[in-house]
Amino acid sequence: MPAPLVRIEGLEKDYLTGERRLQVLRGLDVEIAAGELVALTGPSGAGKSTFLHLLGTLDVPTRGRILFDGRDVFDQDEDERARFRSESIGFVFQSHHLLPEFTALENAMMPALIRRTPREQARRRAAEVLALVGLAERAGHRPGELSGGEQQRVAIARALCLAPRLLLADEPTGNLDPQTAEGIHQLLVDLNARTGITAVVVTHNERLAGELPRRLRLLQGRLV
Amino acid sequence: MTEGSSSAPAAGPTPTPPAPETARPRAPQAGHPAPPVFSPFAFVLVFVGLLGGLALAPVAHAFFASRLGLPAPVATGLTVAAAALFAASMGAVAGWGFRRLAAFEIVAALLAWAAVLELRLWLGPVPALLAGLAAQGTFILHLSLVGLGIFAAIAVFLGSSLAFLFAGTGKAELSFSYESYVARSHLKLGWRTLVLLFAFVLTGIVPGMLFILVRSFLRAAAERRAYVRGELVRTPRMPATLLMTLISIGAVAFGVSAVIVVLSVMSGFSADLKRKILGHTAHGMVQSYGQDDFGDWREIRRKTLAVKGVRSATPFLYQEVMLSSGQNLTGAILKGIDPATVGTVIDLPQSMEAGRLEWLTRPADIPSPRRDGAEAPPSGRTLPGILLGRGLAQSLRVMVGDPVNVLSPFGDLGPTGPQPKSRPFRVAGIFYSGMYEYDTKFAYLDLEAAQRFFGATSATGLEVKLVEPEAARAVMDRVVFALGQWPYYARDWSEMNRPLFAALQQEKVAMAVVMGFLIQLATFTIVATLIMMVLEKRREIAVLKSMGAGVPGIMRIFVIEGLVIGGLGALFGVILGLVFCFAIDKRIPLNPEIYYITSLPVLIDAAQVALAGLGAVLLSYLATLYPASKAARLHPVDGLRSE
Repeated sequence: MPAPLVRIEGLEKDYLTGERRLQVLRGLDVEIAAGELVALTGPSGAGKSTFLHLLGTLDVPTRGRILFDGRDVFDQDEDERARFRSESIGFVFQSHHLLPEFTALENAMMPALIRRTPREQARRRAAEVLALVGLAERAGHRPGELSGGEQQRVAIARALCLAPRLLLADEPTGNLDPQTAEGIHQLLVDLNARTGITAVVVTHNERLAGELPRRLRLLQGRLV
Repeated sequence: MTEGSSSAPAAGPTPTPPAPETARPRAPQAGHPAPPVFSPFAFVLVFVGLLGGLALAPVAHAFFASRLGLPAPVATGLTVAAAALFAASMGAVAGWGFRRLAAFEIVAALLAWAAVLELRLWLGPVPALLAGLAAQGTFILHLSLVGLGIFAAIAVFLGSSLAFLFAGTGKAELSFSYESYVARSHLKLGWRTLVLLFAFVLTGIVPGMLFILVRSFLRAAAERRAYVRGELVRTPRMPATLLMTLISIGAVAFGVSAVIVVLSVMSGFSADLKRKILGHTAHGMVQSYGQDDFGDWREIRRKTLAVKGVRSATPFLYQEVMLSSGQNLTGAILKGIDPATVGTVIDLPQSMEAGRLEWLTRPADIPSPRRDGAEAPPSGRTLPGILLGRGLAQSLRVMVGDPVNVLSPFGDLGPTGPQPKSRPFRVAGIFYSGMYEYDTKFAYLDLEAAQRFFGATSATGLEVKLVEPEAARAVMDRVVFALGQWPYYARDWSEMNRPLFAALQQEKVAMAVVMGFLIQLATFTIVATLIMMVLEKRREIAVLKSMGAGVPGIMRIFVIEGLVIGGLGALFGVILGLVFCFAIDKRIPLNPEIYYITSLPVLIDAAQVALAGLGAVLLSYLATLYPASKAARLHPVDGLRSE
């Protein structure tokens, strides 16, 4: 077996609300190999989003560690983690959160601009990923002129802009009708097959989750 | 694990589901690297910056003003710039080196400065350096020193915040690529909106308000009609943050324009006063310590005129006397003048209201006053002429041709000492200078007539007009040198009127500070707008962070937004202020009896206008830092959960 892309050891996360300590994650140990497509399911409040945020270094764990390519990601300060996210992680959220005043292309360029890629290069790269998600013809449209599914595709293109090693999707189909949701799922499967990108997809949809190659289930802060 | 293993979850060393808490040794509690909230090293740096900036100021001022001999405003400006630059660079080192805004450290340094200061003032006598301030009272002393400390702290903060914004991640980043994109999307300011806002600001609030009222009335009526019919109308509404943005721009614009108008009117008054003073007093005066050193004033005048920078000179004789006419009596300052040359130094010929200046030397030409009924008494001999100020003539109730008695306390020697002596003169003319002080106090005689009257053989001195009044001090020094120094000495106009101009300057500074609060108040609306913007964009901020945007990058977005608001506000304010200044210049009548000026004077000083505009931008920048750092420190997880 090749060395895993992500290795999670004894991951715990506590939230302090006033006097109460809420244990959201209670010790997760899991490995994700490069190129895997993983579905993460579980009831509301099971800690799926928290797990995904930790995986994407948006938050820090109370105990345990996450090794990305053998390196402890929480061994770095906030600025270094921001750089790590920019280089290695792509996020897709439930609501696309595109900038309404700008075109699909400009939205897809955003991560490259954040990374200070020259504008022309960023534009080329954004056009490539838009083509990858099947929106080459819609590049000049603003989010308001796109359908919900198309908006989510732009968001996926944006996440893929810098060719991240790990794509994290937090209920990417949560706001979509079943048919569109199916399309987005298919897109993720296709992307995984074509680009070999590693992806973790949080979903409520058991049927769609079942179609993915691997499935993790979170229940009360533990993987079951 | 290979692809396609879609069976049961096979996640590495996953324990059996209901694992008891003790089954596996827990990892140690995490110790994530994070910078300290308060850095003692940064504190030392900013404290050095604050103290150093303040200590540098007097040294720099001595260098620029005394050593290089630069004019006072330039020297002051350079001093402020040098001190601020030092303070800011220390702040920048702290901001860059310790990757922080250093706001806590700067506040601590300011408090430390205040403590050191109070301790020093409590322990011993006031240092010589502060004697000038101390002379104005303890309160002013403490207030000024604390104020200086605040200024220095702001300079340090400017340095640290700019350094953090541009190099806060440890790497210098001068690009605005995504920040300007996002800021533009937040502000939603289109050309049309801006032009409308500008029209709104420019026409004053009233027409704009009327327009908005009429529009909302029509809209409400339309909505009501639609509701009654059971239809749904959806009229586009302006987003709240855009409305706030526009209000902020308007507030800054009004603040800046108010500052410009008030300061320009004050400058106008002060320039008018200066013009009048320079019109009716000479730019400089040469006098002597002795009694009869101006006997040969023609020779002294010749020598004076030879000095470079001197345009003209005229002799004068100066005495205080009493004037009487009928039952009316008043004190006056009597000046003997040379009618042939006086016009080259002061504006007396131009300010004659009645009569003529030449009649001083040709009193026979003075006409008899024409009053209804009463015929002027024909006098046996021709009386010498006298010129009176308008106020003086009014209080003596005399007109051209009327006799006036001049009474001098220093007359001939009598048995009991000097006897007052009196002599009648005829009013040869009445002048109006516009300066209350001159018009109610000054009377002019021909120099020779005055010499005869006072029994003097000499003049009091020479009045001098210069090519460049601002260079009066230096030229007057040269004049005294040319005359062989002792017993001659010279005074220039700014010296003679120092208290007046100092008071005006102080008044203007006080006014600028008060009006500055107005701009500051306007920048509070920027704070409010940006806080609202941050709250509205929490999720977007989180998404940007998830894409790798760093703390300084997020801050830059909101700093840009605030600067655009402040900059547009300043621009609109400057235009509005200038338009207003041009509109009121010489158009608002004043009661000349009270103000001695017929209309509101306005003087637009480019430096003043620029300072008001830049001050607004600077205050806007400072106003952005709190909301911007709030936004940048927003925890991405909180942002993502917020919807």
